[in-house]
Amino acid sequence: MSNPTTQKADATEQPRPQNPQVLEEDDEFEDFPVEDWPQEEAEQTNGSTANDGSEHLWEESWDDDDAAEDFSKQLQ
Amino acid sequence: MGQTPVLDQFLASLQELVDKRDGAKVQDFLQLEPPLSDIYQRMVGELRQQYAPGPNTDAELLQRCEPLVPRSKGGSWTAFPTFVKLYLIFLRDMNTDNLLETYNQLKALLNQSVLALGDSQMGVVVLPTVLYLSKVLAKLAMGLDRRPDLIAHIRRMEGLAAQDESIEKVTLVEKSANVVREAFIKCLTDRTGTPGPTGKPEGKRIGIYLMANLCLKLLFQCGKLRNAEQMFASISAQSPPLAYFPASQRVTYLYYLGRYLFGNNLFFPARIALQAAYDQCHRQAINQRRLILSYLIPCNIILGRFPSQALLQRPEAQGLAEHFQPLCRLIVRGDYLAFRQHLFFGSPTAQWFARKGILFTLRNRCEILVWRSFARKVFMYGGSYGGLQAQAQKGPPPVLNLKKLVVAVRWLQTKHAPSGNGPANTMAASNLYGSQVVSEPTDLDYDRLEGADGTVSPATDQEILGKYGDFLAPDGFYTEEGRPQPNLPGQLVDGDPEENYDDYELNPYAYDLDDRTEADISMMQEIESIFASLITQGLMGGYLLHREPRFAVPGAKIKGILPTGFPNVWQTISARESNDPSVPGWVQPRAPSVVGAAGGGRVVNLAGARPVGVQ
Repeated sequence: MSNPTTQKADATEQPRPQNPQVLEEDDEFEDFPVEDWPQEEAEQTNGSTANDGSEHLWEESWDDDDAAEDFSKQLQ
Repeated sequence: MGQTPVLDQFLASLQELVDKRDGAKVQDFLQLEPPLSDIYQRMVGELRQQYAPGPNTDAELLQRCEPLVPRSKGGSWTAFPTFVKLYLIFLRDMNTDNLLETYNQLKALLNQSVLALGDSQMGVVVLPTVLYLSKVLAKLAMGLDRRPDLIAHIRRMEGLAAQDESIEKVTLVEKSANVVREAFIKCLTDRTGTPGPTGKPEGKRIGIYLMANLCLKLLFQCGKLRNAEQMFASISAQSPPLAYFPASQRVTYLYYLGRYLFGNNLFFPARIALQAAYDQCHRQAINQRRLILSYLIPCNIILGRFPSQALLQRPEAQGLAEHFQPLCRLIVRGDYLAFRQHLFFGSPTAQWFARKGILFTLRNRCEILVWRSFARKVFMYGGSYGGLQAQAQKGPPPVLNLKKLVVAVRWLQTKHAPSGNGPANTMAASNLYGSQVVSEPTDLDYDRLEGADGTVSPATDQEILGKYGDFLAPDGFYTEEGRPQPNLPGQLVDGDPEENYDDYELNPYAYDLDDRTEADISMMQEIESIFASLITQGLMGGYLLHREPRFAVPGAKIKGILPTGFPNVWQTISARESNDPSVPGWVQPRAPSVVGAAGGGRVVNLAGARPVGVQ
């Protein structure tokens, strides 16, 4: 029997950079085109900035300390 | 024979592959998705000619398939020949005009392959096939779920549409999930090698997360998340550590696990799972990273951490800022009415959150943060600090009179007074009854209430009968002997009603909302409750004084008044939650030093232990 259709051909392809235009709203978690990758390929490369994983991703202090005039007027 | 050369060759080659236990090639051989290559078309032609549907065809085909199983095993793997027979029949009969039938046949085929998978010796050979069939079935089920029109005419013809009313609908997607779950269990419970949480992914166990992920995808699609609970419990109990599996499976699994935990309001472990999924996801897999972020970000917001500019500017975060930034700003602003309007079901700003399935979670969980910001602002401008000097000496602690909150809430309510064209103009109106802070449309049971005392009582017998008819003249009753007795419609079982029914009227409000003062007292009670809740959750530091309601912040000398009275949300929550860093459903490799210790859950044999004090 000759080789049937090439089902798994795409399994060896590298993930392609995708067009941001087609991002919009597919809620399905797609299969990955590759099975496994080393952790280095999961980390961000930030060009010139150091890639030490310490990039500031979350704001923990967000309280608003600025004077809110309308507020203070009401509470006199 | 000689009349079926392609089929002969197919079966011979398949037998060879089974002999070699080459599961991947077996799967490669069992093609079934159209368009089929030429050689398969020829085989289908032979099948249709030589094995056309008939009374004996099944048995004849099965006979052809039986030699596939290694004779040395005594033919015990009977599930496999039956599976191949079903496969051949599937190819022969496949009719893409009737996708419902195709679905059912495919499901039967997958079921049979799962039975074949159950064999302890040979089962692993069909693992790739089971996975392949599961994927094809999932794709078909999800496709039909999105396009029900494709099979509507068939359902109508078979009278299936009519049954849908009374019984709970089990969709094709859910049915598929149930079959895939069977395959998952077969993988998880494989006993070869070292099973359990200390084992390695070998044998069928290599399929645990492939199957789990597919099953989870289907369960999420059909909204039956609850059905996943048992799966996560079995994985916790029996799976080798997730870390031993390939990155694609880890990331996919952690994504679903995180969403499941999020859906169950377990935000802290959900954050850990989703953050790990994000950290391990390939950096070029933009779509997946974006999907992970759309749940990781709200999870962090609920825990008091907002996404930074740096995060929102990443390529995978494109489009997320426009949804999450306004939400964060509203939490900071502390205007609870603006917050509610933003997330009002049906408003344009809430639409995206609703579609992602996070609207109600955000609405319910973030409002307390909004109130914290609100209280903080009022405290900043309306609190009495006793002056810096008083702080240095032994003065009274800084306090906030809660009357200021009442003023501020009333002010917010005026600001949001219905303009007539707002999307949610009911939300800012002050209430005549009930909550002064939560302004919901009146409950149907109470919407008849009028006047200052909030009650209306039926005046005539006719009204009484209209209201209490189900009690006074029921369809049936029990006699004194306890026998059920049907009743004529409208017949008064106990004769004429004479009682005064005022006492039975629904009046849920114990107070009289005659004037503004009463309303303000009611609001004060609600504000005290909200403050008490904030203090209990650790989101505010201090205590409440009930007589002349005040919030006092003692011990503010070291850290300052605001940081003491309103501690950092994230630090408060993470300090409380990180006592237990484990994530349910995520099996971690055991640290070697822990294995020998008598850890939790281990049975320690004390048979040889001596009593205390005996040498």
